[in-house]
Order: sequence, then C-alpha cells, then structure tokens
Amino acid sequence: MGELMALLVTSVLVNNVILTQFLGMCPFMGVSKKKSSAIGMGVAVVFVIVVAALVTYALYYLVLVPLQLEFMDLITFILVIASLVQLTEMFIKKTSPALYKSLGVYLPLITTNCVVLNVCLVNISNSYNFAQMLVYSIGTPLGFALVLFIFSTIRERLEQSEVPNAFVGNPIALIVAAIMAMAFSCFTGIV
Amino acid sequence: MNRFENFKAGLIKDNPVFSLFLGICSTLAITTSVNNAIGMGVSVIIVLIMSNVIISCVRKITPDEIRIPVYIVIIATLVKIIQMLIQAYAPSLNTSLGVFIPLIVVNCIILGRAEAFASKNGVLDSALDGLGMGLGYTLAVLAMSFIRELISTGGIKVVNPFNEAQVWLNLHIIPEDFTVSIFGSSVGAFITFAVLAAAVGAYKQHVTAKEEAAAKEEK
Amino acid sequence: MKYLLAILFFGTLVAIYIVLYLMNKKTPKPEGCEDLKADCDGCKDYACTNNPSHNQVKGE
Repeated sequence: MGELMALLVTSVLVNNVILTQFLGMCPFMGVSKKKSSAIGMGVAVVFVIVVAALVTYALYYLVLVPLQLEFMDLITFILVIASLVQLTEMFIKKTSPALYKSLGVYLPLITTNCVVLNVCLVNISNSYNFAQMLVYSIGTPLGFALVLFIFSTIRERLEQSEVPNAFVGNPIALIVAAIMAMAFSCFTGIV
Repeated sequence: MNRFENFKAGLIKDNPVFSLFLGICSTLAITTSVNNAIGMGVSVIIVLIMSNVIISCVRKITPDEIRIPVYIVIIATLVKIIQMLIQAYAPSLNTSLGVFIPLIVVNCIILGRAEAFASKNGVLDSALDGLGMGLGYTLAVLAMSFIRELISTGGIKVVNPFNEAQVWLNLHIIPEDFTVSIFGSSVGAFITFAVLAAAVGAYKQHVTAKEEAAAKEEK
Repeated sequence: MKYLLAILFFGTLVAIYIVLYLMNKKTPKPEGCEDLKADCDGCKDYACTNNPSHNQVKGE
C-alpha cells in the first residue's frame, strides 16, 4: 500500500508529466488560455487515459503476448486509443448533451496527445502489475490536470500585463512554465 | 509556391518548432545533448520524407473521408519500423532517446505536413517539403541542445551512434566551475526554448515589417 | 503463420477504427452544441477532429 502511495505521489508531483517529462505540451500551450477550458480538458484527459490504459494493458497481456506479437504494440496502442476516443465522443454525444458541452470538444485533441501513448507504453515497459498500472494511469493525468489548471490561472492574469513584443504569446508562457518547473522540482526528495 | 521557396521556408520562416510550435514535446525533452539531438533529428527527417512520399503516392486512391485515419496508420507503421531499426543498429541511441522514438507517431509535425502538403502535392514536392521541415526541426533541436549542453556541462561530446566507443567530437569550452547545471533540467529547457522562440518571432516581425515597407514604396 | 496473424489483427484494428471514425462523423452534435468550439486557437493538430480540415472535401 505504501508503495502504491509513493507511486501516486511520484506520478502526480515528482515526475510531473508536463513539467518534468515534457509530454502533453501541445494542449498545454493551446488549451490553457482560460480556466474553464483547462478544467474541461483536465477531466477529459483523466477519463481517456484511465480507460485507454486499461484496454491497452488488457490487450497487450491477453492478445499480443500469447500470440508473440509484441512488435505490434505501438500500432495496436495508437489504433486502440484513436478508436476509444471516437467511441467515447459518440457515446457522449448520444447520451449527455451537458457532458458534451463541457468536455466533449476536448476529446478529439487527446488522440495525438503524447501523454496517453506514453502512459500506455510505460505501463508495459516498466512491467507494472495491475494495481500499479491503475495508480500510475490515474496519477499521471491528475498531475497533468493540476498543472494545466494552475497554468491557466496564471495565463489569465498574464493577459493583463505588459510583455515585451517578441515574447507575447507562447514565449512568455514558456518562461512561466520554466518557473513552475523550478517550483515543482522542490518535490524531488519527497518520496 | 515555388519548390525551392517552400524548402527554404521550412528552415526559418516556417520553422516547425519555433514558428509553428509543433513537436515541442520531443524538442524540450531530447535536447540535453547534441548527440541525442542529431539522432532524433535524423530519425524525424527520415520519417517525414518517407511518410510524405507514401502519402503523396496514395493520395489519389484514399477515400476523402477517411484520409486522416489512413495517414495515422501509415505513420505508425513507419515509426515502428524505424524504432526496430534503431533498436537493432544503434542501441545507445535507443536508450538515450527512450520513449521519444515511438512518440514520433504523435509528433504534430508529421501528421501536420501530411495533411497540409503531401495530400495535395506531387511526390517530389512532398519529399522536398519533408526534407525542408525535417531540416528545420533538426536545426532547431541542434541549436537548443548546443546551448543547453554547453552551459550545463561546459563542453560538447558527440559519439558515433552505431559504435559508442568511437568519439567524434569532444570539446571543453567552459571550465567546470562556471557551468550552470540547471540548464540540463526541465527549467533550462523551457527558458532556452522561450528565448529562441522569441528571437525567431522578432526576426519574423522584422522581415515582415521590411517587406511591408518595400511594398509601400513600390506603390 | 505468425505474420499472417499479425496482419489479420492489424487489419481488424484498422477496420474498427475507420468504422468508428465514420460513425462518429455522422452522429450529429446534440442541440445547443453546434456552435461550440474548443478554445484552442490556430491549432495545427490535424488528428484532432475539431480541426476544420476534417470537414473540408478536397477539390479534385
């Protein structure tokens, strides 16, 4: 149990997926201009990653390994993730307009999100057992959502400041990310 | 657009990393050393050219509605092949680049160029475009990794990826006491990227201002 | 034999993906949601189905 807690804290704070592993930068730069979109994106990412990790894990150990087709892992994962996102979007469109309004639009952005593919690949390459896989797959997107939310609040404030011409837009956002990375690096000794 | 103009644009004006902000994930992560940057840059160039060529060849026969899924499948297959080749022939590169080789699949540059260019132009044009964008990406990662490695370790070290014992370049420029090791970590990555992106943005603004002034004078 | 299995598996996955993609495209958005746009401006991510390139038909 303690080991799982340590894994959770590591994946959320210490090895934060955006600030330490640099994954998920595209939605990080694109969707973080407003708090509401950051929240929607965060919830969508948590949902997709958990489901995708479960399905790809099961598929890998129940189909690819017995048939000795491990080399198909990358292609399988990307196809499964893409199909899952389409399926989820269809499901949400048909069942809950309210849910679609809040997070449906962010679902397609997650198909080529580095984070999902990375979580699926790491689950396999680190040979996690089921419990570890579950904890890692919940912790990583939580870390992503946390940083995205914090970043969006800072960016909203940044809109009203005076920034040198060349730095307007993405460059100044990256400097903010650098400072956040510095702050988060203080978590390194925690486990 | 003139073939050569397009090729040149991919290098600085439309640099995929600093202008279009595509493929940032891998840029920030692998630029800790010039070695990694060269390996990654070459892999991306190969994947870009091959995927552009293949997609350009099949563009007339793919049904229009499902072209994006088809491109994703083609790119995934290509990347897997490249990954297996790297695992076999350059294992040191495989260990240092790690998970970022399979992550080339979701690198926005590849799918972006496939959709924006290769699906509409001929094979040779697409190949040149792939080369231009790939070179732009490689230049970008080389610039970033050069700065980061120089400041964080004081020198540059390049080894042969196929034979780790062979060192191609080993420079020591800044003495150990003056190195700023934080540039090897994520903080340094963000700062270097921000400054370089601002520099390219300022250059672009400068060039556009000059072009507008010249156009006004002609009138 | 192993490679035949691999190709069949690959083909099944691709077929499932394409079927789901087309089905998703044909499902209409619920009312009140047609004008929603993700706040990602100028995104060049073409795999994201919000990107307008998915609805354009290529002029032949």
